[in-house]
Amino acid sequence: MIPSDHFTRFYNEVFKFLEDQGEEHLEAYWLEISKNQEKHTLELFKEKGLKGMYEYWDHIRIEENCDMDLKLDDEKLELRMNVCPSLSKVLDNDAEPMKRYCDHCAGWIGPLIDKVDHHLVYDVIDRNKPQCVVKIFKDKEKAIEEEKNAKLLMGWPKKKK
Amino acid sequence: MKPILQENLYIKVNKNNLNQKLRYNDGGNVHMDFHGATNTTIKFIIDKYGIDTMNDIFKKVGNNVYKNIKDHIKKGNIKMLAKHWQHFFERENADYNISINDEEIILTVNRCTAYEHVRKLVGNVSPNFCDQTIKTNEALAEDTPYEIKTEILGEAACRQTIRKRA
Repeated sequence: MIPSDHFTRFYNEVFKFLEDQGEEHLEAYWLEISKNQEKHTLELFKEKGLKGMYEYWDHIRIEENCDMDLKLDDEKLELRMNVCPSLSKVLDNDAEPMKRYCDHCAGWIGPLIDKVDHHLVYDVIDRNKPQCVVKIFKDKEKAIEEEKNAKLLMGWPKKKK
Repeated sequence: MKPILQENLYIKVNKNNLNQKLRYNDGGNVHMDFHGATNTTIKFIIDKYGIDTMNDIFKKVGNNVYKNIKDHIKKGNIKMLAKHWQHFFERENADYNISINDEEIILTVNRCTAYEHVRKLVGNVSPNFCDQTIKTNEALAEDTPYEIKTEILGEAACRQTIRKRA
C-alpha cells in the first residue's frame, strides 16, 4: 500500500511521466481526476452552490491537515491556502518534484466549477511556495475583474471563455 | 535453508519496540479518499499506456520516493521498513500484525483499509490495485541483499515478507 499520506508523492511521479508525454496527456489525466471528484462534489455544488463548495473544502481543510482560511459571502467563496500540505510533501521528498505540480489543482477544480456555472479564479502566486488563493464567483464579470489581481493565474483544460 | 516458522521465535512488533526514525513521519488526520484517486490513476495509466508503464511508475516510487528506506535495506537495517509498515497501517486503522526475527520480517494484513475504502467509494477496485504494493516492494528490494515477497491472500488481505536472498 502506498499510504494515503504519501499519495501526493505518487501523484508527483505520475505527473512527471505525463509531462514527458506532452501537455495533452497531463490535461487528459486532470480531467479524469476531475470526473472522479464529481462523485463527491457535483450534486453538492449543484444543489447548494457556494455553500456546498464551502462545506466540501471545510471538510478537506480538516481531513487533509491544511492551514487554510475559508471565507464565504453572497458573491464568492474565498479559499486562502497558507500552507498547502500537498505541495509541502512533494517538496519534502527524496524524489524530484515536478516543476508545475500546482497546475493539477486548477486542472481538476476548473472543469468542475465550469460545470456548475460558477467562475474560478486560481492564483497560485508562486509554484515553489505551498500557498495559493482560490476565489469562486457566482458572477462572471466579477471573476474576470479579479483575474487582473492574480500574480500567477492558472488555466485549465477547456476553460470557459 | 529456509527458516522454519515457529511462532515463539518471532517477536510481535508494536509502536513501542521499533526504535527507528522515519524519513516521512506523517501525523494528523488521514484522508482515505486518496486511495480512490490511486485506483483511478491505476486504471487511467493502464488503459492509456499499458501495465509496464504503471509498473515503471511504481518502480520510481520504490526507488526514489522511498530512497531512505531502500538505503537502510541496503545497509541491512530492515527494521526501518517494519517501522514504515507499522506507522502507516496503524494510521489507516488496518487489521495487521508484524512479526520479526533475526532472519526476516513478516507483515500480515488481514484487512486492508485502503482496499476496503476504494471498494466502498467506487464499487469496483482495479484488479491491479495491489500492484502498488507488489511493484513498490520489488523496487525497494532491487539491488539490495534482501527480497520482498508480496502474497495476495484474498480481497484486502496480503502477506509481505522481507528476508535475505538465498
